[in-house]
Amino acid sequence: MLKETLQRLTAISAPSGREKPVQQAILQELEGVIDGHRLDPVGNLVVWKEGKGTHPKKILLDGHSDEIGLVITRIDEKGFLRVDPVGGVNPLTLLGTMVRFGDYPGVVAFEGETSEELSKNFKHPSYDILFVDIGATSKEDAENKVQVGQFGTYVSSFWEMGPMWVSKSQDDRVACAIIIEVFRGLKACENTVYGVFSVQEEVGLVGSSVAAFDIHPDIAIAIDVTANSDTPKTFKRMDLQLGKGPTIKIKDRASISDAKIVDLLESTAKQNQIPFQFEVLLFGGTNAAGYQVTGPGIPSGTLSIPCRYVHSPHEMVHQSDVENAIRLLSKVVARSDW
Amino acid sequence: MDLQALCEINGASGNEEKVREWIQNRVQGMADHLTQDPVGNLVATKRGKNPAGKSLLVMAHMDEVGLMVTGYEEDGRLSVMPVGGVDPRVLPGKKVVVGKDALPGVIGYKAIHLQREDFSTPPKWENIRVEMGFGKKEDCKKKVKIGDYVHFYSPFEELPRRFLGKAFDDRGGCALLIHALEKMSPVDYDVHFAFVVQEEIGLRGSGAVLKQFRPTCALIVEGTTAGDNPELEKARWSTILDQGPAISYLQGGYALDTRLLDVILGTAREHAIPFQMKGRTVGGTDASRLARTYSGIPGGGINIPSRYIHSPASVISKKDYENTGKLLLALVQNKKYLDVMEG
Repeated sequence: MLKETLQRLTAISAPSGREKPVQQAILQELEGVIDGHRLDPVGNLVVWKEGKGTHPKKILLDGHSDEIGLVITRIDEKGFLRVDPVGGVNPLTLLGTMVRFGDYPGVVAFEGETSEELSKNFKHPSYDILFVDIGATSKEDAENKVQVGQFGTYVSSFWEMGPMWVSKSQDDRVACAIIIEVFRGLKACENTVYGVFSVQEEVGLVGSSVAAFDIHPDIAIAIDVTANSDTPKTFKRMDLQLGKGPTIKIKDRASISDAKIVDLLESTAKQNQIPFQFEVLLFGGTNAAGYQVTGPGIPSGTLSIPCRYVHSPHEMVHQSDVENAIRLLSKVVARSDW
Repeated sequence: MDLQALCEINGASGNEEKVREWIQNRVQGMADHLTQDPVGNLVATKRGKNPAGKSLLVMAHMDEVGLMVTGYEEDGRLSVMPVGGVDPRVLPGKKVVVGKDALPGVIGYKAIHLQREDFSTPPKWENIRVEMGFGKKEDCKKKVKIGDYVHFYSPFEELPRRFLGKAFDDRGGCALLIHALEKMSPVDYDVHFAFVVQEEIGLRGSGAVLKQFRPTCALIVEGTTAGDNPELEKARWSTILDQGPAISYLQGGYALDTRLLDVILGTAREHAIPFQMKGRTVGGTDASRLARTYSGIPGGGINIPSRYIHSPASVISKKDYENTGKLLLALVQNKKYLDVMEG
């Protein structure tokens, strides 16, 4: 069930600001297990299940529905496309990959009028020397298929490699799948639980800056992917391993998790023998930073899934980390002793 | 002419007072309601016939880029820092006016004769000086304070197909807002024309507008980079003069609302107003701030292409300016721009 959900969600193309297709799929997945939903003005999908307590606490779980992508900025005389990134897309990652604008796939390639220039461009990749070939025969042909201002994403498949799940947009569809599973398993409980499938995280935490303004949750937990330290010669100053459990974030470049939330996650994991890791990420940020400064401020934290090759077409997560995140969060939302 | 008057007023970020006063006088009698908020934003509201809680926020920023005095040299010259994004390469040899009394000065730099390898690198801010002819620190201190604003001296010129001047970013937007307010036919919903402060130093002013008004959606009218210059390949030009208002779809920190974008494109086509899609996604506008403030207001953006933007002398196309005005007026009166928010 979980794998199929994740497979369906990662297959959908929905970059920042263009999240509607994935939000519709999420609503279908949640049919019958939520009490209500709404779309807020900037497009965040908010779902909830009412608490049964007399004064229910409000817990908000966030997973961003957008993914990184590209946008067409110009179509040249011969029908080749110029693009800019939507969020953090390293042009090096794009070389030789397939991307997709609507129904039309394209190949990414670099310019170079001499072999020296081409090698220089390979060494210093940038969007100035990169183009996308959708097989158009002319400008008109291209314009009949795609348009300037259209957003696109990587073309990639979902692969199961031993215990690993690999695909584009694990960042952050894995969180969307986790929240869906939490709601699916949610029995009547004291707390009111909100799920926010937020927009435009990848271009700068837009959705999470406003999603909770009218909700006033007691706590907000962002769920997102994080880095790894278990591949050859990678981040030696951090300790983040796939398969050792979801990571309870202490700090990254954008926020410090509320100590109360760190305690809540840690004690719940220990009580239920759920494996977990602690995480101090030397860079990056999550939607927790947006929630933290909403209105009068919301105690916020992050539960992360260690991930390899983040922002590539082949983001790799460990099945057991995803399952353990679901177990942990399901126990957390049911707790009212805090 | 409104554009000329507005561009010739000096008002770098944080110093918008004179721009605000001018606009306030100009829109008296046109708006049903005029408010100024504590940070200095001015909002002129045209009441709707049947608003039913719906309103449109149209926004342009009053501030321009400039410089600020940071210290004195013994010989009476001034050191300065930028207010907003100023390229130090456009400064040497340009006339400026300093402080409230707009005293004349010039930006100095090493003469070409004395330059060697530094000829190929941009001047450093620490080496840029403003000369006001005082000759002595004590005399300069009597007339100029630390923190005084330094504005470009740049009289407005009308050229055959262009306007030449400073501060089109975003007095062009301010002028077009005034014209839309003046010409618009009554509509059902309220329209708030907001003239905001401190955009150029990080979108600091616009968020405060939402403390008083909770509009359905927003439309930002901006000056944007042209970049149709020979040193850039055509494929990397941002916008091209004379091709009409530039429509934004992605910018620094915000992907513009796709529903509003569709209405903007549809409205331009319906009224046969030429337009172009922006060719680059760099640079932000107040739409990025509004989407992140309180419960979030979605926005769209139309822009007047400007050559040599953020310099003492920018150039815009008369046709683009007119067509941006036409598109703005059509959008302000297009109920669809608000209705798509419900779908």
